[in-house]
Amino acid sequence: MIRPDAPVLLEIRDLQARVEDQPILKGVSLTIRAGEIHAVMGRNGSGKSTLSKVLAGHPAYTVTGGTVRYVGDDLLSLEPELRARAGLFLGFQYPVEIPGVSNLEFLRVATNARRAGKGEEELDTFAFEDLVRERLQVVQMDPAFLERSVNEGFSGGEKKRNEILQMALLDPLVAVLDETDSGLDIDALRIVAGGVNHLAGPDNATLLITHYQRLLDVITPDYVHVMAVGRILRTGGKELALELEERGYDWVDAELAALERTPAEVG
Amino acid sequence: MASSATVGDLVSQPYKYGFVTDIETEKIAKGLSEDVVRLISAKKNEPAFLLDFRLRSFRQWLQMEEPDWATLGHPPIDYQEIIYYAAPKQQEKKASLDEVDPKLLETFEKLGIPLSEQKRLSNVAVDAVFDSVSIATTYREKLAEHGVIFCSISEAVKDHADLIEKYLGTVVPGNDNYFAALNSAVFSDGSFVFIPKRVECPMELSTYFRINSGDTGQFERTLIVAEEGASVSYLEGCTAPMFDTNQLHAAVVELVALDDASIKYSTVQNWYAGDENGKGGIYNFVTKRGQCRGDRSHISWTQVETGSAITWKYPSCVLQGADSVGEFYSVALTNNRQQADTGTKMIHVGPRTRSTIVSKGISAGHSSNSYRGLVQLGPKAVGARNYSQCDSMLIGDQAAANTYPYIRSQQPDASIEHEASTCRISADQLFYLQSRGIAFEEAVSMMVSGFCRDVFNQLPMEFAAEADKLLALKLEGSVG
Amino acid sequence: MVAASLSTPTAAAGAGPGGWVTALLAEAASGADALAASRERAAQALAQTPLPTRRDEAWRFTDLAPLTGLKPSLLSPAPTAQPEPAGGSLRLTLNGHSDPLAGINLPAGLEPISGDGLSESLGQVLAATGSAGLWPVLLNGATAQNVLALRVRGTVATTLELVSDAGADEGILPLRLLLILEPDASLEVLQVHRSGGPNLTSVVLEARLGEGAELRHGLLAPGAEAACLLATVAVEQATGSRYSGVSAHGGWALGRLEPRLVQREGAAHSALKALQLADGRQISDTHSQMVFEGPDGRLEQLHKAVADGQGRSVFNGAVQVPRAAQRTNAAQLSRNLLLSDRARIDTKPELEIVADDVRCAHGATVSRLQQDELFYLQSRGIAADQAARLLLRGFCEEVLQALPAAAAAWQPLASLLGEQGR
Repeated sequence: MIRPDAPVLLEIRDLQARVEDQPILKGVSLTIRAGEIHAVMGRNGSGKSTLSKVLAGHPAYTVTGGTVRYVGDDLLSLEPELRARAGLFLGFQYPVEIPGVSNLEFLRVATNARRAGKGEEELDTFAFEDLVRERLQVVQMDPAFLERSVNEGFSGGEKKRNEILQMALLDPLVAVLDETDSGLDIDALRIVAGGVNHLAGPDNATLLITHYQRLLDVITPDYVHVMAVGRILRTGGKELALELEERGYDWVDAELAALERTPAEVG
Repeated sequence: MASSATVGDLVSQPYKYGFVTDIETEKIAKGLSEDVVRLISAKKNEPAFLLDFRLRSFRQWLQMEEPDWATLGHPPIDYQEIIYYAAPKQQEKKASLDEVDPKLLETFEKLGIPLSEQKRLSNVAVDAVFDSVSIATTYREKLAEHGVIFCSISEAVKDHADLIEKYLGTVVPGNDNYFAALNSAVFSDGSFVFIPKRVECPMELSTYFRINSGDTGQFERTLIVAEEGASVSYLEGCTAPMFDTNQLHAAVVELVALDDASIKYSTVQNWYAGDENGKGGIYNFVTKRGQCRGDRSHISWTQVETGSAITWKYPSCVLQGADSVGEFYSVALTNNRQQADTGTKMIHVGPRTRSTIVSKGISAGHSSNSYRGLVQLGPKAVGARNYSQCDSMLIGDQAAANTYPYIRSQQPDASIEHEASTCRISADQLFYLQSRGIAFEEAVSMMVSGFCRDVFNQLPMEFAAEADKLLALKLEGSVG
Repeated sequence: MVAASLSTPTAAAGAGPGGWVTALLAEAASGADALAASRERAAQALAQTPLPTRRDEAWRFTDLAPLTGLKPSLLSPAPTAQPEPAGGSLRLTLNGHSDPLAGINLPAGLEPISGDGLSESLGQVLAATGSAGLWPVLLNGATAQNVLALRVRGTVATTLELVSDAGADEGILPLRLLLILEPDASLEVLQVHRSGGPNLTSVVLEARLGEGAELRHGLLAPGAEAACLLATVAVEQATGSRYSGVSAHGGWALGRLEPRLVQREGAAHSALKALQLADGRQISDTHSQMVFEGPDGRLEQLHKAVADGQGRSVFNGAVQVPRAAQRTNAAQLSRNLLLSDRARIDTKPELEIVADDVRCAHGATVSRLQQDELFYLQSRGIAADQAARLLLRGFCEEVLQALPAAAAAWQPLASLLGEQGR
């Protein structure tokens, strides 16, 4: 839902970042307003996953330039947990397994941290159990998963559902979903997408990072951005995704080659 | 990796029980000889059988060599530089707690062990041992109503000499090993527990050991006897002040379980561990052994080891009675220059005996944490079973985690299973938790407690929270 | 018995372990062959090294009495009957004295190492794996009269069979082997060591694997009553190399195998599969050691043991992962079958880790044959003892099947179980 007067939630300007000595992001700019759904598409290695990690504050990535304003604040100066408490959510492409730490306990601590961030009261164990059982419906997850260790022994689809369950509990302002569709069969994709659609509203925003069109068949984006070699190459509406689907990424190469020839025009 | 360095920082925390109580103490001259052994025995007005036991042990100790197989590094211990008896100057044990020196009560209150009637822990009876003597035991009358004896071993020697003579030294003989022999010669105080037939002890029993003097060795002796069908849960806690010299703690614990009896022995050990350069701290060389003497008897050891400069201890079970059960649940956290060589021995003698071992070692800093265990199945242990699990968690790349599980079987109709793994706190796991709004410290703490959960679940309810808190405390600190 | 008194160390340091070694050294010293200098050095070291006793951790469960009861003289075994070699394999017979390469046309890719090349290389892998001072290695070094040393280039299609039979006479048969695999070389080797009487087969193999090299190594050693085997396999691996060692020994009064592997810069692959059997009053022992000196190394180890009669099986599996060895992935499993209530199994993994980003798992089981498996077979009409035999075979075959194909001619299972007439 595009409303030009809606408040800006996330404003990325000329963001540059590297991992070890390898520059990955070479100047990304992107503005996201409340109510919008954005999709960033691109090949493997285009930098789109790095963008999500940098936004969430992964320690392996170093920001070398640019700014990110998040509801008016300097996002990059915040520790990862403070970003989460302020309502920025990253749905991981590969959620890690954490043996020994119970999923239920983890969800409760995280939910209460976010509630504290919103100035709400913490939920006690019982109130939280009620909440989590209600939110389980969103992703049609078996309550048995609550008793297990975080993501341990979960299938790919179960891990992704657990991510969306966390999203449902943490009530983010901006949700960044990194390749949420990868490794999902068609039923799981529908459930995950249903969850995302259910949670998207006029006051929050979603940034989908994906390689394929198929996720965009079930979640309709307002904007589609095409990323390559650490930059956003083109921005359009949902029809841009269809164009990519039809023509593949080869034309991106052609545009890139053109850019390489005339570097002065970039920017 | 940047974040594991910060995890390392986290594990370093100041020791908060390092204070010294300023109290007048009666000490004997340092050094060890037959005269010292006689002097200790005389101070305690002991019967002849006990002096004999001490002297026999002492003579055997003189013939023995200090063990070196655990490859623990420490300068040689000069046994003539140690004081073998120290007691706060208060005459006799007081009939009422009100008469105990307020400084001592205050000390224990500061340690979180209030002893006075008003503040004492409900449903936990405490025997408080300060240096070489027991200063107070709570809830004695209530326990006596059930026929349960819970007192210091010195009192037991006076009031229940027959029981002491019958059981002392029958599980850990006076010549068992170097440190046990030393203890048998010079032991000062400790706790005695006796649960008569078919009595379920109505409350948790606990002994709290406090070393206060800087040059004193601590040699307590604990003896727990559960008669037929009796059961008891017992917890031992310990702290010491921070001195930059090393202190020797060589305790002996003996457990005897008769038919259908059950003893659950838990330890939360937080002796002073020395500073980050390995200066000071307790040498904890302890012999703990339980004997499942009766059929269907059950002995369970649970330990949370966080302190001591050097730990050398292997709480063991001799499973003699048919269908008897031995258990060992252990968390050992080492940091800085700490060294721990700990584990258990499960000696299966009787038929259908079963044992379970769950060991969790956490190594940080430059520490060394070894699990050393023995599972032995004798020729008569038909149908015996053992399951062992030894997991190590490494924090930083300077700490060592070693695993030496000895297995010996002479019984074909039996099964032994051993599993071990290593893990660490990875940067990705920490980031995942942080990205859900969980602070770094809490994230580390969650993962460590998760790693230890199987063991904490075995602690008595009253102390599970304490253990969790203790680990959290060890993990508390500034985040870089 | 004289042997018993010899097996305790002499109190005076440097006085030497006693008459048994002295007598042996006197006989072995002679000769001006290529090994004379190194033999002299080893002899001196051996004279200074007390005979291991059960007070030594590495020999805690293994008594050397069966060994020191043997006549301390060198053997020259006569040729014995051998099965026909399998197609595609080259068999070299080792008797400790004659040159095994005499009259042999080596296949492409294999060439003998001699002269300076030999004296430079010999002992290097022993040093790299910390094996040079081991008593069995010193004993071998002080007595071996010749060495089979080969350099390997490229892929050698022929399986090399290195065969010895100590025969029925009393004495000692020392065998020394050296393989140097140049980068990307590939070779399959099968060692077969047999005996028929009161003697000792002492084997030391050194193998150095260059970058990307691959060695598939089998060792099959069926023993005999009163016969002893002390075999050391020292392997040094460069990055990208693959070593796969499959061994099976049993039937020896005392049979001890010591595979000692080092990955000098990590990033190599090591696999060890072993089966050992102890029946009667036999002792079957394996002490393995794996050291990772660099990152990204890998070990897969499966050790299986069967103890029957009054046999004793000993396994000690050391794995060392120092700080430099981040991202090591090591797995070790010890599976033991205890078939008699007079037999004994001792098994001890030894993991020493000083690196945080590693995956090291080990496991051990000791049990008799699985009752439910036995029952399943019985419920299909198979008699209990036959079912037990079938299951035992299954247990052994998992390792034996992994031996080089050339091993089949030696009937590994039958020879190990003593089901084969000699």
